[in-house]
Amino acid sequence: MSNGSKLRAFGGERPPMWLGIALAALAVAVATAVIYPLKSVAPAVSLSVVYLPAVLLVSAYWGLGLGLATSLASAAAFNFFHIPPVGRFTISDARNWVALAAFVAVAVVVSTVADLARSRTAEAERRREEADLAAGLARELLAGAQTGEVLGSTARRLAEAMTLPSAAIELGAVPPEPRRLAMGLRGPDGAQVATLLVPSHLPAETIERLQDHVVGPLGALVAIALHRDAVQAEAVETAALRRSDDVKTALLRAVSHDLRTPLTAILAAGHALGTDSLSADERTELSSGVVDAAGRLATLVDKLLDLSKLQAGSAVPRPDWVSLEEVLLVARESLGAGASDVKLTVDPGIPDVRADAAQLERAFANLLENARRYSAGQQVAVQIRRSDARVLVRVVDRGPGIDPSERERIFEPFYRGHEAAGEPWTGSGLGLAIAKGFIEANGGTISVESLPGQGTSFVVSLPVHETAPVQAGV
Amino acid sequence: MNTTARPKVLVCDDEVQILRALRVILRDAGFESLPASTAEEALDVAAVQHPDAGIIDLVLPDGDGVEVCRRLREWSDMPLIVLSAVGDEDAKVRALAAGADDYITKPFGPRELVARLNANLRRVRHEPEATVISSDGLELDLARRIVKLNGNEVHLTPTEFDLLRRLATNRGRLLTHRDLLESVWGQGYAEDTQVLRAHIANLRRKIEPPDGPRFIRTDPGVGYRFAD
Repeated sequence: MSNGSKLRAFGGERPPMWLGIALAALAVAVATAVIYPLKSVAPAVSLSVVYLPAVLLVSAYWGLGLGLATSLASAAAFNFFHIPPVGRFTISDARNWVALAAFVAVAVVVSTVADLARSRTAEAERRREEADLAAGLARELLAGAQTGEVLGSTARRLAEAMTLPSAAIELGAVPPEPRRLAMGLRGPDGAQVATLLVPSHLPAETIERLQDHVVGPLGALVAIALHRDAVQAEAVETAALRRSDDVKTALLRAVSHDLRTPLTAILAAGHALGTDSLSADERTELSSGVVDAAGRLATLVDKLLDLSKLQAGSAVPRPDWVSLEEVLLVARESLGAGASDVKLTVDPGIPDVRADAAQLERAFANLLENARRYSAGQQVAVQIRRSDARVLVRVVDRGPGIDPSERERIFEPFYRGHEAAGEPWTGSGLGLAIAKGFIEANGGTISVESLPGQGTSFVVSLPVHETAPVQAGV
Repeated sequence: MNTTARPKVLVCDDEVQILRALRVILRDAGFESLPASTAEEALDVAAVQHPDAGIIDLVLPDGDGVEVCRRLREWSDMPLIVLSAVGDEDAKVRALAAGADDYITKPFGPRELVARLNANLRRVRHEPEATVISSDGLELDLARRIVKLNGNEVHLTPTEFDLLRRLATNRGRLLTHRDLLESVWGQGYAEDTQVLRAHIANLRRKIEPPDGPRFIRTDPGVGYRFAD
């Protein structure tokens, strides 16, 4: 057929009526013609069965009306051409009346049965289509991310399947308008969750079909999709809460251990300083111990504040043109006595970056401190290079390296790597989390490459702006 | 205390500042401290110098203080006090199960540490047990099984009396739930902390002032101790 759909017996769309009439006429003519040669082998009266395939064919495709018409046309043609007297619509022999009546009766039964089969199949076909439509709508509604985003495509699919000029689905109850019909879509609990809007000039049959077969399942589907949205949102929220709980638990542990240890040292030294038997050396030792422990406490408090600012999202950078070399020199100085272990190499022509200088300094100070802690006393190399539109700062240590299984976790707050052999475990576990936080807040990225046994390099990459001033070299 | 020789106390902590301060504090309290900053060093020092008691930090650079307690317990009966900064009951209970006698949470008062140390040393010195123990108005006659509070006799059930005796004869020492259950009820009752809690509550109702326990102190989740 021209539209490509197959002509299906017993179902689907009915083929055009003119074709049915033409086919019926042709089939009756062919049957009439076929009977002529057959008359030599069988009595003419018994040959009416030759018309039955035509009746069956027409009834199966075009329904009962045309089937009955074909039956009558067959009876008439049989009478006219084959029952004596031939060429007239009269019957001389009473036995032939019986034969003709029997044929008509059989033909009527055949067309009725064929038509019944046709309409049953058509009904089954329609149900299948409805099921297909429901499945298609379900896929559309449930496969997407958010229900609100897929309502448009769902309505389009519905319009396509039902050959509607247009259709829309809106969440909630929407009042009808003069030119559009509003059908409430209800969930299983009967509450209206959305509205199906279709043009009001649709044929009554289509509207009835929508009401009877589409609105119910579509409402249930939208309700399910909305429920799924709610569950998903809840799951996301729960996961976020759990993560923040994990951080809080880790924070409590860290506070518990890292704050209490220097506090204990201060408290014990304070008591010890009050005893009478103290020698001058002991007094010096104890008092410098108090200063040292208090210094560690202060550093830790700074880090905790940095981290809580980052986690609360209140570490908003104040960007300015920043020379990375200057930042790294300051960061290196903050290491105090350890500064001499860090060797800085800067390529010529490194442009300034747009960033918050104080935050970058905190980031690199933490990164250098970390590298020095794990470098097993060896030199830490820092290189600043340009690569296309980025400036790369590479911090390389020759420490024990990081096991691949740990690499994911080292940027997590309070995660401490396995310490270098023999080195006491002194890190706060916050440095890399702070470095990552500040670098990302300033539009940069940080990554780690490590070969266990050979060392680790952290690579910080910061974007270069087109208008960046270039330092003439230092 | 007999002063012919100062009792030696092994002190194991990775914080050099804490080692220094404890050396002075312990010396002032009449002890000699044997410092160690790692688990391995602690085991070596203990093997060579035979300390009378040990103070062990739970978090050590080369291992776990719990493990140190377990290893020391294999050959020594010395009192062991665990220093924990981690305020978590699990680690304390593990340490006590591994043979530690008591724990003290950082930051701690040095006076408290010394008191605990003395209480636990009394256990190994096997000081002759008095037949009458009195403390702050409470009087226990162990031979006649009579308890008096401010001169008035208090009626205790046999189990309550055994429980009070166990606590009072170990004054100042932490007694874990398991220790109390096994010594008063017997081996099969080590897990029945509900029973213990009920008897402690009854005992307190009979001997403690209404404004809070004075004699029987609770170490939440771990055990009880009789006030020193």
